[in-house]
Amino acid sequence: MINFEDELKKFKPSLEIEDAEDIIYKQDLDDMSDVIVKLLKEASQEADTAKRGK
Amino acid sequence: MKCYYCGAELTKDNTCPSCGAKVGTYKKIKSLSNRFYNEGLEKAGVRDMTGAVESLRQSLKLDKNNINARNLLGLIYYDTGEIVAALAEWVISKNLQPEDNLADIYIDDVRNSPSLLDNINQTIKKFNIALNYCRQDSYDLAEIQLKKVLQLNKRLVKAHLLLALLCLKNGKWDRAKIESQKALELDTGNLMARRYLKEADSMLLPGESGKLVSDVASDNDGSIRYNSGNEMIIQPVKKSAIARSSSIWGIVLGIVLGVAAACFLILPQRIQSINSNNQAKIAQISEESDSKSAQIVDYEQQIGNLKKQVEELQSQVTGYEGVDSTSAAMNSLMKATAVYFNDASDVEGIAQALEHLDLYAIDENVSDEFMELYNSLMALVGPQLATSYYNNGYDAYKLEDYETAIANLSKAYQYDNTNVNTLYYLGNSYNANGDKDKAKEIYDRVVTDFPGTQSAAAAEAKLAEINNSGN
Repeated sequence: MINFEDELKKFKPSLEIEDAEDIIYKQDLDDMSDVIVKLLKEASQEADTAKRGK
Repeated sequence: MKCYYCGAELTKDNTCPSCGAKVGTYKKIKSLSNRFYNEGLEKAGVRDMTGAVESLRQSLKLDKNNINARNLLGLIYYDTGEIVAALAEWVISKNLQPEDNLADIYIDDVRNSPSLLDNINQTIKKFNIALNYCRQDSYDLAEIQLKKVLQLNKRLVKAHLLLALLCLKNGKWDRAKIESQKALELDTGNLMARRYLKEADSMLLPGESGKLVSDVASDNDGSIRYNSGNEMIIQPVKKSAIARSSSIWGIVLGIVLGVAAACFLILPQRIQSINSNNQAKIAQISEESDSKSAQIVDYEQQIGNLKKQVEELQSQVTGYEGVDSTSAAMNSLMKATAVYFNDASDVEGIAQALEHLDLYAIDENVSDEFMELYNSLMALVGPQLATSYYNNGYDAYKLEDYETAIANLSKAYQYDNTNVNTLYYLGNSYNANGDKDKAKEIYDRVVTDFPGTQSAAAAEAKLAEINNSGN
């Protein structure tokens, strides 16, 4: 048996045209490549820090 | 494929030829992204839009620069009515790859059709209003809004789903099923639509294909409703010939009863009202007639009085006329006397003055003095006047101008009644003029006044002649 209230909560208001700009700017565009590059950068930074500590 | 680190074009090797970066994992990620894109493309081909969206999102998470995946995602959003989301994907795609991008065409299509944009905006606003109505428990208003939304854009899957949910809430299972099926036609992989369809189907009569639970109630109103595919067919129940004939007899009976009611209830009242109106009119006319009769009697009395007054006035006028004629006669006599004293030989002047004096007309009104003066004047000028008139009259008689002859001879006899010839020719003039009675009277006077004369004998002969011709 479907629960009307629960089902209703699944519906979200449609995006209006005036909101299009905000949506585009706020969209998280990071992909797996970006994540990997960040990981690599963080890894190299940690390696550099470890070398300086020694 | 370009190096993620320096942007140089990569070769088949797992190392960048420009910067020496290791790109093996990067290439695997790109490949995985393409696999998701292909999967999304396949799902979109069979209208599994939900599945396609999931695959394409995965593809873009792996590689945001997968322009094909992004453009396809925009197309899928556009097809399911999510225009703003579609535009957002196409704009990002355009920014990531400004040249040689299909997103240009899609964006231009939307931009060049302002009515389409306005329509889209209206659709979105109405859907959001409907959703608000649902949250405020105004389900009827929400249903109306959603129907308007679907009139504007039949491809908005969310609207079909929300309408189906409302129908389930209101117990309109058949309608919920139809809306769920429409949503599934647009998006075959939509789980919500499937659940709603299952819920609606569970409320249908088991074992009766096409018949709905709600059909049971509607059977009582003389029609059968069932679904054939997506169409709801309402079929009237066939009636037997007896049932049809009974309805015809019912109509005939109704007409007969209507006519009878008109004859026995409406017509008598109508006739009575017409009669009463006519009686009122007759009474009014008779009253007017009576008043006019009274007026006529009154007028007749007035006419009688006026006639009496006219007669009295006429008698007075006659009296005045007598006075006038008497005074005129006096004037004539005075004038003649004056002419005689001026010139005794002016017989024509005297005759002219006495021309209008008629002694027979004034005989009763004149005084003795008048008659004495008249007789004296006649004694002096009578014979001369008589001779003058006699000559004129005799000449006219000879010329057969009897009218002139009668006038002159009458005057001649008036002034001298001793001349038998005057009277005899006067009688002849009347006789010749056709006035036989007057002629007989004159002849009779000739015989009586002048007996033994030749004229008397001739008059007797004329009398005998007239009498013989009269027989």
